[in-house]
This record gives sequence, structure tokens and C-alpha cells, in this order.
Amino acid sequence: MNAPEMESSSAIGPESAADLERLVERKLVLWYYFAALTYLIVSMLGGLLMALQLIQCNELQGIELLSPGRWRMLHTNAIAYGFLANAFLGTLHWAIPRLTMRPVLSKPLSYLIFAAWQIVVVSTAVGILLGQAQAVEWGETPVWIDPVALLGLLLVAVNFMAPIAGAKGPMYVSLWYFMAAFVWTFLTYAMGNFIPQYVVCGTNAGAIAGLFIHDLVGLFVTPLGWGLMYYFVPILLKKPIWSHGLSLVGFWGLAFFYPLQGIHHFLYTPIPMFLQYGAVISTIAVEFVVATVIVNFFGTLYGSGRAVVTNLPIRWFYTGMILYFVTCFQCALQVTLTFQQLIHFTDWVVGHAHLVMFGVFSQWLLGIMTYLIPRLTGKEWYSRTLCEWHYWLSATSIVVMFLDLTMAGLFQGWSWSSMQYWDHSTQVSQPFWIVRVFAGLAMFSGQIVFIYNIYRTLSGPRTAPATGLQPATA
Amino acid sequence: MPAPNRRKNRVWTVVTVLFFLGPAMFGFGTKFYELVQVFRGDASGAFAVTPIVNYLLAGCGFLLLFGWAAKNGMFRDIEQPKFLMLENENRLDAVERSAAPHA
Amino acid sequence: MFESKAGVLFIGGLGFFVLAFIANGAVPMLMYRDMPEQTVHEVVNPNVMYQFEDLNRRFPEAFKKYVGDAAAEKWDDKQWNEHCAQLLKEGRDIYVGEGCWHCHSQFVRPVSNESLRYGPVAKTEEYQNELQRPVLFGTRRVGPDLSREGGRRSSDWHAVHFLNPPLLSPHSPMPRYTWFFDEGNAGKPNRRGLAIMTYVQWLGSWLESYPYFEDYQATSNLNPEPAAAAPKAATP
Repeated sequence: MNAPEMESSSAIGPESAADLERLVERKLVLWYYFAALTYLIVSMLGGLLMALQLIQCNELQGIELLSPGRWRMLHTNAIAYGFLANAFLGTLHWAIPRLTMRPVLSKPLSYLIFAAWQIVVVSTAVGILLGQAQAVEWGETPVWIDPVALLGLLLVAVNFMAPIAGAKGPMYVSLWYFMAAFVWTFLTYAMGNFIPQYVVCGTNAGAIAGLFIHDLVGLFVTPLGWGLMYYFVPILLKKPIWSHGLSLVGFWGLAFFYPLQGIHHFLYTPIPMFLQYGAVISTIAVEFVVATVIVNFFGTLYGSGRAVVTNLPIRWFYTGMILYFVTCFQCALQVTLTFQQLIHFTDWVVGHAHLVMFGVFSQWLLGIMTYLIPRLTGKEWYSRTLCEWHYWLSATSIVVMFLDLTMAGLFQGWSWSSMQYWDHSTQVSQPFWIVRVFAGLAMFSGQIVFIYNIYRTLSGPRTAPATGLQPATA
Repeated sequence: MPAPNRRKNRVWTVVTVLFFLGPAMFGFGTKFYELVQVFRGDASGAFAVTPIVNYLLAGCGFLLLFGWAAKNGMFRDIEQPKFLMLENENRLDAVERSAAPHA
Repeated sequence: MFESKAGVLFIGGLGFFVLAFIANGAVPMLMYRDMPEQTVHEVVNPNVMYQFEDLNRRFPEAFKKYVGDAAAEKWDDKQWNEHCAQLLKEGRDIYVGEGCWHCHSQFVRPVSNESLRYGPVAKTEEYQNELQRPVLFGTRRVGPDLSREGGRRSSDWHAVHFLNPPLLSPHSPMPRYTWFFDEGNAGKPNRRGLAIMTYVQWLGSWLESYPYFEDYQATSNLNPEPAAAAPKAATP
């Protein structure tokens, strides 16, 4: 806590390549990324199936295991627990040891967690496809897997907490986010999967389910994502974050306001109205906190703006940040009861979810992969052009999908409130749903390009020393 | 950081804070007063006012904690970890570069 | 405190999470603690029982095969209730497992003309039962809200609709649920088909307004031929 202690913590650290190998388990990071990308593809296929179903072009109907309803749940779960969780865990195996200069608690434990988590994700997928989903949105994991997943999360926390606990002196902001995220993820998962199932029913369960949907994004994905941004942006720009003091506001603001908003997912339900007001107020409050974080990152970028053109990972990161700001700004508006009347239950919300999950966090993780894969393998990218294609296909398609679904939501809301026949609302959605299929296909092909690029890179020759996509080597 | 620069920064901070917080506090205060007026004497109205009061109390507590922490010298060198992080990273990269087989 | 591990862990990690849980989760629990939670047997009411017996009349062979031979076994009221409760429970599991709740909500809001379209606005009491554990509010409506669906349409209609939705609602994007039926025949629902139909007919059966029919007149300038299921009129 005191400044003098700092000096001692910088004294330790690796001296040789062997030390470096002990610090970061590169192979494991790469394994996590391969697993993550596999689930990303599976998830996107699920999304595609549902999108085709909506425009009534699904030729695979009548096959129980290919039911669009089940694949819709697989779509979200594979993204949350397959893609995001795996990519985060892999990246944390890189970032935490390097931030603390200490390896994780135990290498064998790391591999055990890797294996256990893949079992959790695969059995979730199988359980959902067999029709055993649990009625908790974003947590449809069949009830019998929940305790295993929770145990996995506990082990993750223990494994990563060891190096953080060992580090001395005031911690860098990334580590605050990581520490808090380990606690929050565990608590959130336990709360959301057990309380509405075993403790309470009805409206109370709804309040908890809302809190779960919200906390899963806000207390698992968001802190890990921002923690990684606070780490990768400075090291790629080769300059410190603009203000470490301001990041304090961001962290504590998120910690305080974010979890208070759960009920805003169920406005106008029988949940007591004063609780709904409370959730709305804190949602608007968190928007100001988000603004401080965005200011901080753009303050960091100031003076090196060209990096956005020359440095591909930086471009991924800042695209994600702009979209994050858009998401949160949209959130502050759509959470009001005025907007809710019209847009609740519509595709507006679906667009919002895609923007935050793909546009922000997935894009950040894909940017991190773009930076790390050459460093992990010691091989420069097979093709920088393909990396560019990956970026442009992903970034444009998510923006198109977001705008498209937002508009679709407005039309659906108007159709319902003007008491048209139900058919009218699905008919009026058709053009938007068709555009969405094409946006999704573009997004999907972007990921295929990425995977092809990885394949060619891995099968290519070693081009050490690989430094990632730095301007100098581009 | 040289002293005049620091003073300039401090002035700017105060001006910015006043610029944003002043109108915001005024707006919030008047609106909240209006709300209290609307719900006066209404039993269910207390429910509408309660969460806001709770948030205000929690916010005040947090502000006090913040002041206490600052007074105890917690933010004297708040920017240090960000430099240390970059230093660490540079050292790790240097080790990696020296260890890597030459291309 | 703000940068220390203990502060981040206990105040940020644990403290604020618990505060939020109290504010968002524990408060409604305390407010509704005196509201009893009904079991699935208690929510079987005469309305849904009528629909259940009606399933027996409409699909006698399927009912005999998958539920039981009510006539031969001479079911008394208690047995009928028992079977109905069992199917309700299974139907609810199917509703969850098939992801129905991701395209059909189960609450009527007091805004956006919803009480005209669906019926009475949702109340807490309606959800205090075993079948709403976890609650099935839903967050998206591709298809209409179902919380007042029971009794609006016959089980025959539902059977055909589950098997091939576009046949009855021409532009419906709802998938076909062929695995609810034997031999792809709408006249031969299997146990899953009977269960999901029981469940759908139960929704809203506890209300006085059951069955609720839409309370609106077609706005003639927008839909010239409302009775013809409006296939042409709405095509963009």
C-alpha cells in the first residue's frame, strides 16, 4: 500500500528464456484460443439456423436435434461459456503472469481446468440439444452441470488469485478488474442458477433472473474485457494509460452501479415498481462512469492516432470501445420507461445484445488473438491482408446488423402498439431479417478467413522474432 | 511535474468539476424536491423516494470513504503502477528478444 | 483501500454484490414472503381440466396410449387431477427445453395496448407456483404473448399448428415440431404433444377472463380484409 514497497516488487522477474517459459504457459493459451474459435463457429451456425428460420428458409425443419429453438439457446451459451470464457481464460494465462511477474498457482491445475471447462461446455451443448435446458436466460446450462461449472469457476479463481496475492504494492488497474471479476463471476453464477431454481419462484425468480442476465455481462464479461484493455492498449501503444487515477472512477463506478440494475430487464413486470425505478436510475448513472473510461482510453490514444491505421489490434480495440460507448449510450436511453413501452420484446434488444457481445467483447478478444497468436507461435501472420479482411468483415457486419435490428425493433413495436394483426409484425420484419442473414453470413465468413489464416500461419515456417502486428514489421 | 503546471491543472480540475457538477446538482436537487412534493403524504410515495435516498446515502458514504482514504495518503502516487506495468513488460520483452533464435 | 487487494475483494467484489442482491433480489423476496407458492396439483383448475378431458375426447387413441385408458380404469377426480398435473409439469419442461420462452413471453404489460390484445395485466399472484420456477417471463416476442393463450383456440388447432405452423398462420416463422406427433400426423400426438397442449391450454386458465379473446376491431383503412388472415394485405 505504501510507495516504498514498490521497488522490491520490480526487483523480481525472469532473467532467462527458461524463466519466461515458466512464467507463461504459451501452449495452453493457444489451446484455449482454438477451443474458443471452435465454439465461436458452432455458435454462429446456431445463429444462422435461427436467422434462416425467421425468414422461413430453413430446409432442416422437422429434425429434432436441429430444432432452431434449441440451437438458439446453444447460440448464446456457446458464445458466453464457449467463446468468451475460453478466450478470456486463455488471455488471462498470458496477462496475469506478465502483470504480476509470477506464474499461476499450478500448471497441472491449469490443464485440469482447461479440460474440465471443455467438458462443461460440451455437456451444456449436448444437454441443450437434448432438450434439457434450464429456464434461465444466458444460463440454460442443464441443472446437473451447474455445480460442476461452479466448481470450475472456483478453481479458476484460486489458480489466478495466487499470483495476484503474491504481487506487492498498489496494483495496476487491470488486476483490480480481474480480482473482482473472479469473485463476481462465481457469485453471479451461483445466484442465477440456484436461487430461481431451488429457492424462490415467480416474480422473485424474475428479479433474480434479471440480475443474473445483467451481472453475467456486467460482472463477468465487462470487467475481464476492460481489465485486458487496460493491459493491452498501453503495451501496444508503448505508453502508459492516460490517467490511472481516472481508472479508479471507472472501476468503482462499475462495481457500485452495475449490479444494481438487474431489474431493468423486466420493466413493467409485476416486480415492484419502485425497484424498477431504482434499476433505471443506476443504469443511467453507469453511463457517466462509462464516459470516464472512454475518455481515459481516448486520452491515451491522443497523439498516436495513426496507430489505429497501422496497428491492427489497436484498431480492433478502439472499434470495440466506440461500439461500447454506443451500447451504453443506447442503454441509458432504452432503459427509460418511455422507450421500454415501444422497444421491449422487439429485435431492438436483440441488436443491442449482438452489439455488446460481438461488437465489443468478441472484437476485443479477436484483436487480442490477432496480436498474441504470432507471439505464441513464433510465427508471423501468413497474410496481413487476410487479417484486414477479418477485421473489415467483422466490424462492418456487426454495425449493419445492429442498425438493421434496431430499426426492425422500432417497426415491430409500432406494429404491436397500433393493434395490427400479429402477422403484420412478422411481415414487416422480413426485410430486416433478410438483411440480418446477410450481415451474419459476412460476419461468419470473416471468422472463417481468420481460422484459415491461423491454419496457414501454423503450417508455415517459423519467422522469429515475432512481435505481433507492430507498425515496424507490417 | 513542475509546480506552475500542477497549479494550472488543479485550477482546470476545479473549473471542470464545477462546470459539470454545478448544473447537474442543481437539476437533480430541484427535480428531487419536486418528486418529494408530489408524493407528500402518500404512503406508496415513500416507496418511490426510498431507493433514491438509499442511493444518495450509499453515495455519500462512498464519498466519505474516498475522502478518508485520500487523507490517509492513499492517492499520493496513484499514477505509479501504470509506469511500473510498462517497465515490467519491457523487461519481459527484452528477455524474450535476447532468447529468441535470430531470424 | 481503493487500490488494495482487501478493498477490491471485500468492498468491490463481495460488498457491492451483496448490496445489489439485497436491493434487487432480497427486497421482492421479503415483500412477497407471505404469498404462498402453489404446487402443480393446486394449479389444476376446472378450466384446464375441461381442456384435458377434451384431449381425451379429441385424441382418444393417443390419450389411451400415452396417458392412460380413463374409461377402462375408471379414473376418479383425483386420478384425473394427478394425470393432468403430471402432464402440465412435463409440458412445462418441453416449453423450456424447446426454447418456446425465447420467442413467446408470459407477461402482459400495462402499456402499448397489451391489455386489449392479450387480456388483464400480469399480477404477482399468477406467478407464485411451481411451474414458474424459474419464472418464464421471457424477453422476446417473435410470436405473441402466451400467458392468456389457454382456451382461445381448440386443441385441434394447436395440434395442427405445432405440426405445421404456416398451415394455420401463413407467415409464421415458428418451426415445425414434428417430434410431438407419431407418423407426422396431427391426429396422433405423442405424450410430448399431449403435454405441451395441456400446458398451453392451462396458461391463463386461472383468470376470470378465460378464455380471453382479442378486444379490438380491425382498423379498416389499414387492413381492408382482416378476416382473410391478411396474407396479401400486409405484404411489403
